Amino acid sequence: MSTHPSPVDALLREGVSRRNFLKGLLASGAVASFPGGALAAEPYVDTKIPFTGKKSYTTFRNACPRNCYDTCSIKTFVKDGVIQFIEGAKESTFTNGGTCVKGNSYVRRVYSPDRIKYPMMQVGGKGSGTWKRISWDEAMDTIAKKLLAIKKEDGHLLGAALTKYSGNFGITHYGVEGMFSSIGYTTRFAGTPCWPAGIDAQNLDMGAMWCNDPEEMKDSKYIILWGANPAANSVHSMKYIFEAKKKGAKVVVIDPVFTEAASKASEWIQVKVGSDGLLALGMAKIIIDANMHDKEWLAKNTKGYKEFKAYLDTINLRDVAETSGLSLELISQIALEFAKADPATIWSGYGLQRHTNGGSMIRAIDALVAITGNIGKYAGGSRYGHLDTWGFNYHAMSMEKPAGSVGYVGGKRMGEFGHGAAGEEKPDYDDRYLNINKTAREILNSDPKVRLLWVACKNTFAQDFDRNLLIEAFKSLEMVVVVDEFFNETTKWADIVLPVTTQFEEYDVNVSYWHYWLSINEQAIKPLHEAKNDLEIAALLSKKLNALEKGSCTFPEYVDTKQWTAKEFNAGIYEKFGISSWEELKNGPVKAKPVIPYADGKFFTPSGKYEFYSETSKEYGWKALPEYVEVRKPYDKFRLTTPHSRFSLHSQFQNLDWMEEFNAEPFVYINTKDATDKRVETGDIVAVFSKVGLLRVKAKVTDNVPSGTVMMYEQWFNNNIYNVNELVDDTSSDMGAFKTGAPGVALHDAYVNFRKI
Amino acid sequence: MQKAFLVDSSICLGCNTCAMACKNQYHQDNGIAWRKVREIGGETYREDQNNFLPTVTWYAKAPQAQMPEERYYFSLACNHCENPACVEVCPAGAQTKDPITGIVKHDQELCIGCKGCVLACPFGASKYNERLGKSEKCSMCWERQDEGLLPACVQSCPTGSIALIDIHDPAYANAGTTDPLGIDYAIGSSTKPSTRFVHPSLPAKMHRL
Repeated sequence: MSTHPSPVDALLREGVSRRNFLKGLLASGAVASFPGGALAAEPYVDTKIPFTGKKSYTTFRNACPRNCYDTCSIKTFVKDGVIQFIEGAKESTFTNGGTCVKGNSYVRRVYSPDRIKYPMMQVGGKGSGTWKRISWDEAMDTIAKKLLAIKKEDGHLLGAALTKYSGNFGITHYGVEGMFSSIGYTTRFAGTPCWPAGIDAQNLDMGAMWCNDPEEMKDSKYIILWGANPAANSVHSMKYIFEAKKKGAKVVVIDPVFTEAASKASEWIQVKVGSDGLLALGMAKIIIDANMHDKEWLAKNTKGYKEFKAYLDTINLRDVAETSGLSLELISQIALEFAKADPATIWSGYGLQRHTNGGSMIRAIDALVAITGNIGKYAGGSRYGHLDTWGFNYHAMSMEKPAGSVGYVGGKRMGEFGHGAAGEEKPDYDDRYLNINKTAREILNSDPKVRLLWVACKNTFAQDFDRNLLIEAFKSLEMVVVVDEFFNETTKWADIVLPVTTQFEEYDVNVSYWHYWLSINEQAIKPLHEAKNDLEIAALLSKKLNALEKGSCTFPEYVDTKQWTAKEFNAGIYEKFGISSWEELKNGPVKAKPVIPYADGKFFTPSGKYEFYSETSKEYGWKALPEYVEVRKPYDKFRLTTPHSRFSLHSQFQNLDWMEEFNAEPFVYINTKDATDKRVETGDIVAVFSKVGLLRVKAKVTDNVPSGTVMMYEQWFNNNIYNVNELVDDTSSDMGAFKTGAPGVALHDAYVNFRKI
Repeated sequence: MQKAFLVDSSICLGCNTCAMACKNQYHQDNGIAWRKVREIGGETYREDQNNFLPTVTWYAKAPQAQMPEERYYFSLACNHCENPACVEVCPAGAQTKDPITGIVKHDQELCIGCKGCVLACPFGASKYNERLGKSEKCSMCWERQDEGLLPACVQSCPTGSIALIDIHDPAYANAGTTDPLGIDYAIGSSTKPSTRFVHPSLPAKMHRL
């Protein structure tokens, strides 16, 4: 790979609005306080790149690692050491030569003038906006000294906490967890804000979260997209749905919102929020009453069907109709059509389980699919997600604790800190786990106190809840280190920010929780500016810690992402994907050998069967059966629903100028009736307020959302204070503690009011 | 031969992948997009953000379709007209119609920035780049096509809702219509735009609360 400095430098200086902005800053003498560091104002450079023929590019294999169903396989075209453009890898039938709108903006992301370029320290204190460029050595020295001071003063490192989630799902990025293990017993924010209630539900029913290959949907005869909107959030799945539809399959979308997917369905059914579980149970009852259930499959493969049937007998279908807002005729029609079709499948979206009764709703839908015998069947299945192709070594996180480390007392004394009373056996230590979905509260109430927080692969302020309490929590911390590509609201409340590489600047490996393809990330370009990858950062910290105090960190002091990527592979992965070496992935992504989940009737539950009746569920304090549970009671006038936008992946991508070109600003979507009541018209600025916060945002009046609900996409815009989590409290969903360590968040059970301003 | 885009709105997700794929390939300046995804329904698409619709013709008729906003879309770029007005007015020979493919090409080396093409195009496809003092527009990725590749937008579309066809090929004689539902598209334009459209439709049944 040849590196030609001038085009890179030229690209880095690009940005006309930036230039003007900087000129203004120079005039005011305020450049030193600008987070990206003092950049000289440079003339705008033309980056328009004519296509110069396939042969003139060096190509690399990459993958999008950003928490998305599609996890696109990418082919990267590089010239003179600069990424010119990307394409989807054609080898993957799923990606099929394309990425999504976000993927197509990657060049701009990598070469964004807004990228964090150097380690920076907020010298004026958190939130001051007064930054100073520091060296990597200085950054590591400051952090290492703080860690050692915490250990010395507290006698342990539980005051050091890590919060990391889905900004980069590449396997080697688990090295961040490895780094925290390598310094001793520390505090980890556990759980996931995304899908825990559904994970638990599927694990209770089937002993795993495991879904059929989405590419099979082309052969499904009946597809229910239940609270799932692949037309915005898994665009590559839509071609299979369209193919099925073309072949005569019926595609039903059940969703309170007229989503992009609903607009392309055969039939759209608007349902009252939170009633989906009851609707599924009502459908199951209708199917059984019509004697259309798969008796043979049920007898052979399930546990507790009799109890489930007895429970269904107590359900009054008139209640189902009233609660869901649908007519009995419609419910019967959909239920019987679904039962008749073979194969039929349901895809449950993640929004469905972001309710106080979310896990129970997924269990009810699983049960509906199960009674029709569509589980274990080609092109059938209750689809939610899978981790079937994630069997890597996780070498990056397998670090031992330094000798003599002290931590939480394990086992039954979990939650109680100490060395154990005199005379007791020497306790086994553990890391401390705090609930990631109550980050603010957990930081403020922690004992021993969280003193240092490390944020990686995560924009806490865009993803966690009750933003105003988060500010208080972050201010209470002695040191906040944020590793990111961009300055955002989380870096605003940081003391030190460290620039991290994109996937084009490091080696890594990626799989999906939806499709069955495996891709690698090759290092296509040299890291820009002073950016380092998460593994290198861990190694640097290790080197510094050991220099200051020998033996204080077990993380290797040198890493090569290529070698570390290779270390993640094992015989099981090779067998599953039919390759003999990871190097084969340089020729393109490969797909796992086809398997139909549960086709052999073997479930991973305690009974080995599909469990309508789950003892485990009972142990966790939930209902043993997939019973109907009422949703959270409203505490304000309007339900707030905060789905994902097609223009962003959580807080990523929307901050790029290219994305702003197509989606310039945020909106609150208000139903026509509610807007009329409140005298709001499209374009008006409204104040949306809840018990936790207030946001001013432009209104769009639309029939796409139901009356009584307002919709605001979860996004982070650059230079815009919009943050929907200003309005969302941290109330938990029912499930999540079983498999992910903490319950999820009932994101869509937040309530607000609004008025025109 | 007249190469053309066939835009199938019945399977267009409005995902904007095509428009961004064009940016990815050409790195257009901020404020300039050769391809845009427009909403059908309501009035919003007429509030043009990119001088896409500069002529009076565009505003003459009300939208015809009653489609929910933000759910139905057309992806539009240069129409590579059979009788392109831009080619006719260009005094520098910068806009040319490829005699074999029918692609209307723009040569920025030759462009003198007179804005003739921008004013002449009934569809606003030619953009004036203030910074360069020159015009630019969709090239149907003829450079890619010369190498046997599809245009970036076509290749990138996740559902195949943009295809490349030859409207003079009898096989495509009935492919789509010249009329993009809900948008006054200057159908009668003497330039004879080549783009063909498949209309969207609402779900067969919709059950609202």
